[in-house]
Amino acid sequence: MKELRKTNFKDFKGSWTLCSQCASCYYRGPIVPFNWRELPPPEWSSPQHKCPSYEYYNFRAYTAAGRGILATVVFDDDQFPITDDLIRIVYTCTSCGICAEICQLFKPLTAIWAFREELVQRGAQLPEPLDKIHDNIKKSRNIFGAKRLPKALKGIPARGEHIYFAGCTARFREPEVTRATVEVLKAAGIDIAYLGDEERCCGFVAGHDGNTELLEQQAAQNVEALKKAGAKRVIVSCAHCYKTLKIDYPLIVGELPFEVIHVSELFAKLIDEKKIRFTQEVRKEVTYHDPCFLGRHCKVYDEPRKVLESIPGIKLVEMERNRRWSYCCGSGAKISSACYPEFGTATTRERLAEGKRAAGTIVTACTTCVSRMNRIARKEGMQVEISDLSILVAEGLGIELSPGLE
Amino acid sequence: MEIISTLKKIVGPDRVSTSDSICLSYSFNCFLGRDIVRKPDIVVMAETTEQVSEILKAANKYNVTITPKGAVGAAGTGGPLKGGILLDLALMDKIDLIDTTNMKAVAEAGCSFFKLSQELFKKGLMLPTAPYGPGPSVAASAITPVNAFGETKYGPNINLVEGFEVVLPSGETIRVGSMAYADSDFGPYYRYITGPDLVGLFTKSNGAFGIVTKIAYRCLHRPKHWAFHTYYWPLDRIRDATEALVASIAIEVFDIHLMDRWRFEMEPGPILPDDCEFALQFIVNAENEQELHGKEQTVKDICGTHGGIYLPGHAEDFYSQWPPPLIGLRRPTTLPSASTLPTKIPRRHIYLFDELIFPASRLPEVYAKIMETCKKYGFWDIPHHVAFSGFPMNHQVITAPIGIALDDSDPYLVERFHKCQGEFREWFGKKGGTFQYRLPPMVPDFVWTNQLGVYNLLKSIKALLDPNNILSPGTFELGGV
Repeated sequence: MKELRKTNFKDFKGSWTLCSQCASCYYRGPIVPFNWRELPPPEWSSPQHKCPSYEYYNFRAYTAAGRGILATVVFDDDQFPITDDLIRIVYTCTSCGICAEICQLFKPLTAIWAFREELVQRGAQLPEPLDKIHDNIKKSRNIFGAKRLPKALKGIPARGEHIYFAGCTARFREPEVTRATVEVLKAAGIDIAYLGDEERCCGFVAGHDGNTELLEQQAAQNVEALKKAGAKRVIVSCAHCYKTLKIDYPLIVGELPFEVIHVSELFAKLIDEKKIRFTQEVRKEVTYHDPCFLGRHCKVYDEPRKVLESIPGIKLVEMERNRRWSYCCGSGAKISSACYPEFGTATTRERLAEGKRAAGTIVTACTTCVSRMNRIARKEGMQVEISDLSILVAEGLGIELSPGLE
Repeated sequence: MEIISTLKKIVGPDRVSTSDSICLSYSFNCFLGRDIVRKPDIVVMAETTEQVSEILKAANKYNVTITPKGAVGAAGTGGPLKGGILLDLALMDKIDLIDTTNMKAVAEAGCSFFKLSQELFKKGLMLPTAPYGPGPSVAASAITPVNAFGETKYGPNINLVEGFEVVLPSGETIRVGSMAYADSDFGPYYRYITGPDLVGLFTKSNGAFGIVTKIAYRCLHRPKHWAFHTYYWPLDRIRDATEALVASIAIEVFDIHLMDRWRFEMEPGPILPDDCEFALQFIVNAENEQELHGKEQTVKDICGTHGGIYLPGHAEDFYSQWPPPLIGLRRPTTLPSASTLPTKIPRRHIYLFDELIFPASRLPEVYAKIMETCKKYGFWDIPHHVAFSGFPMNHQVITAPIGIALDDSDPYLVERFHKCQGEFREWFGKKGGTFQYRLPPMVPDFVWTNQLGVYNLLKSIKALLDPNNILSPGTFELGGV
């Protein structure tokens, strides 16, 4: 099956008509009960609650199975009315990927992305925030329409072999993560470079809301800039950017002339190579939130845990839903949270509560997840600390990240 | 519309929808065959029996038809034949009781069968039905008008059901069978407590007489030791295979599954020997190793006596895989071929018959007739192969879904398919064979002409319970369509 990029629903239609509507992708309860002798192993022990949009809206339309039905119907009828209801159903999918993790036969999420592309190609009116985001990407090169770069990224060379691709959220919403990442990498002896204004939004939101044309533009421009800067390795903080660069870009521009690595993978490697040597104890009981786009989409589960367990004083406790069964943080690929904030907030609230039941600190390895959970925890008055992996690594190295620096 | 505001008052505004897109998402069953579109006008989600009762009162008041539904799923089909309300019960998913001592369980209608099965497993119990998919809810698996999913030698799920809580079309809630005693000190301990067995009225009814909101199951103790074996026979030894089958059903074997070559090849696993036409897959269980070996030896003796050829490792591998091959994820209802034979199969596999039910001893003539009729209409081998899957039950009966691989958007093929179906139906019905269908309307062919008195009685009961014919209209064509 094709991944995101110029997918057309006709690529999926043949297989979707074979979907038996078994409901595994959303139904509450296990997807596999037992094999008579034993209960399923952890990788098949699915959680009771799986699909965020189903859990919030409850109607079947808000599931992969329901969206698959609608996609086939819409595809068969080019006059099918594209109503606000239909748009809401399609754009409340968080792209968390749990349906595709469950149903590896039909890859329902990829079909939903194709459905979005189909709607965009038909000129459907997308939820308002998406138009704004597209506009920001085009005019300001980032999703927020922000202008000023954080101090942490100033003074870093624009050319080099190891280029830090910060991403919109780290640059403009979570500068502490940016600073921690840069400082840790410097401490490990890496000559870090940064594209500055030449770093454009990776195009994740555009690609995942069906505007593949914009994604393609972003991909071409970023890859060109990275090549010009001499990149041999691109280091990424945000799981969304990571998935886009690692998986989507090669489908658009072909094989990349550089390695794409997530900071959690790089930290784990540097720990192995003894280039990161912790000097400080960080006395914390933490739980790790697997970002959907790092975990399920890119299969990076072990490295962040390895890094956490290497930091002296850290005690890692797993949440009930972890690894491939992790629950969306509510960002919903930045799309459902922007377009349907009540739904996004409810999802974040649920994930925060789950994290809080496990430990006092929720750590993750995605600036978008950090930003999202921080914002909702503050707004809802939830007493739980949210942190990025890079910040804990910096603490373990004794790097001081004074608040208000930016 | 007044009914909409009434429904919103009952369940809350977020649990009622007339959205075209939402209604459409409930319109397809089992597979997305365009000829099976059942679009409701309103979707309502209920969370309690009281809400179901109020919804039914409203439906009666406004004379709007209503059809209950779980999470759909591989065999949990159904849906409104003609618009009206679709009552989605998927949120009613609580398990009310697991009584390990008395081996009883009670769950709400929308609880997934997998969920209940797994919770029972954790407590050393089981429902001896094969776990085919999470979609069918505990109620759907008992009221769907076929033997329901996952038949094992213990028979259909309904053999394990001891009681229902049902909301009648009037909105009145009644409890039948063991559920009549659910709140007593002894609990729901026995189905046949007093008077006629009214549990039967609601089984396989597709909700035509009332909406099941809770269901009580009799559970079995789960032995710790299990073994899996396969024996096979060539086509010209079908009589030997049948004799082995009949002898095996008579003994204490947990399950037997009869598959013909095509059905067998749809499952993941090693390549079958060329001469394998029929395979019997056995599951035996026991409390200890000694007992298990004894049962395995008995199966070996039976199959050996009747010329069965042992297929080592096959069943063992089959039942060791994660996810298990039988579940919907690996085996989407009609289309295991989607994953295992992608280049060979043009499109989907559709049921020639949802279920054929006949005495196990008559397998050779039934199979021969299926082959003869299908070949006459150009079905049997690739690309339109026919798959026979037989579930022997301890009544010495086989219940068998038969599927054909064909592109159901091709009118020529579909016409031949219907002719083939009709011709076989005529022969089989006159023999006394029974058909069961997942999807209403249940065409009143031999199912009813062979039992006309029953049909008329059911019509009378339907008219009495549901004078406005609001519940699951079209089911059995009771009350007219």
